[in-house]
Amino acid sequence: MYEAVHAHPDGDSTVARLARTAGEYGYDGVVVRNRSDARPDYDADRIDDEYGVDVVDGLEIRADGPEQASGYVGNYRRDVTVLLLEGGTPELNRFAVEQPRVDVLARPMAGDGDFNHVLAKAARENGVRVEFDFSPVLGLTGGPRVQALSDMRKLREVVDQYDAPYVVSANPYSHLQLRAPRELIAVGELVGFSREWMADGLREWLRLAERNRERQSESFIEPGVKRGTYEKEP
Amino acid sequence: MKHLPKHLRPKWRYLAVGIETWPDGEVERGPFQRELWYAAQNLVGDAGSADADLTLLDFEFEDGYGETIVRVRHGHTDEARAAIACIDEVDGHPVGVVVRGMSGTIRACEEKYLGRRGEFSAQRTVAFENQERTAVVRNGTYDVRTDGSFSGATELDFE
Repeated sequence: MYEAVHAHPDGDSTVARLARTAGEYGYDGVVVRNRSDARPDYDADRIDDEYGVDVVDGLEIRADGPEQASGYVGNYRRDVTVLLLEGGTPELNRFAVEQPRVDVLARPMAGDGDFNHVLAKAARENGVRVEFDFSPVLGLTGGPRVQALSDMRKLREVVDQYDAPYVVSANPYSHLQLRAPRELIAVGELVGFSREWMADGLREWLRLAERNRERQSESFIEPGVKRGTYEKEP
Repeated sequence: MKHLPKHLRPKWRYLAVGIETWPDGEVERGPFQRELWYAAQNLVGDAGSADADLTLLDFEFEDGYGETIVRVRHGHTDEARAAIACIDEVDGHPVGVVVRGMSGTIRACEEKYLGRRGEFSAQRTVAFENQERTAVVRNGTYDVRTDGSFSGATELDFE
């Protein structure tokens, strides 16, 4: 299972520290989801050797509106393995799910964000994963948490109905905010998600990373077309 | 009062919990217990909290690292896990918590999952983001003191 993390300088802990703690907690890897103006510096191979944790190069786009977001998608799509786009407004949510080059719509219900059947269908067609962000459940209490839970329930019902792809994350900004997969699953179960559903959302990050790594590899030409092994240099 | 006969006594499970804070974090037993009860109450309500009957047994905390055992009624361990996961601050100090394992006896719980404190921590001066900083070092983790707060790093960041 994988978790998507904000590393220093976006968050408080370096990629190495997050990976180390994630490894101790039972994760197989982490997706780095820093913003474009706070990208971290790390050596993924070294981290994998030392802690046995796979680090996936990702980026979270934070934009004021669809036009700016579109520019960022063009700029960064080729560079990174997993491309996330922070939602939270109706315009950005809509832009993200209609854009097959975006991998994950992050935090769609934050702020003014909302989600409906139209977006869910578009997300399924374009393979855009909708994120279930558990940080409000873990970190808030009282009214704000009730609000976050009711938003999450709505999102779950829509996503389930249209079979849209999804990912699950606790959205940690430091190694202290990381929670082990079993704990996240236990929290999910209490708020109405099934065990298998939660685990699937944590595994989805890996499937996404694997698919995109294959696409980034040199033998890949386009979906369904691949350079074969029979071509030999004369 | 006379003890209950054995078949009527509640069955318990014991969760080994690891606690971590920044090096300046101070977590005491009482406040941690209170946070745990609040977390459970907020998550599963009064009825659920009474069922799970969460109690802290051992509690040790020093230099930003601690361990404890949480006793929970058999069959309510998932609620306990969820409540523990929802503890994010104790006395204003951000904390990381993890359930290291679960056993049917306190002794097994201690032997299998606790006592991993490791070597004592040391202060060291490191270069972090092109500046000289002091860091608290333990078992290859570096908590670097930056202006008024900390950044978490490991030895790999200083190679």
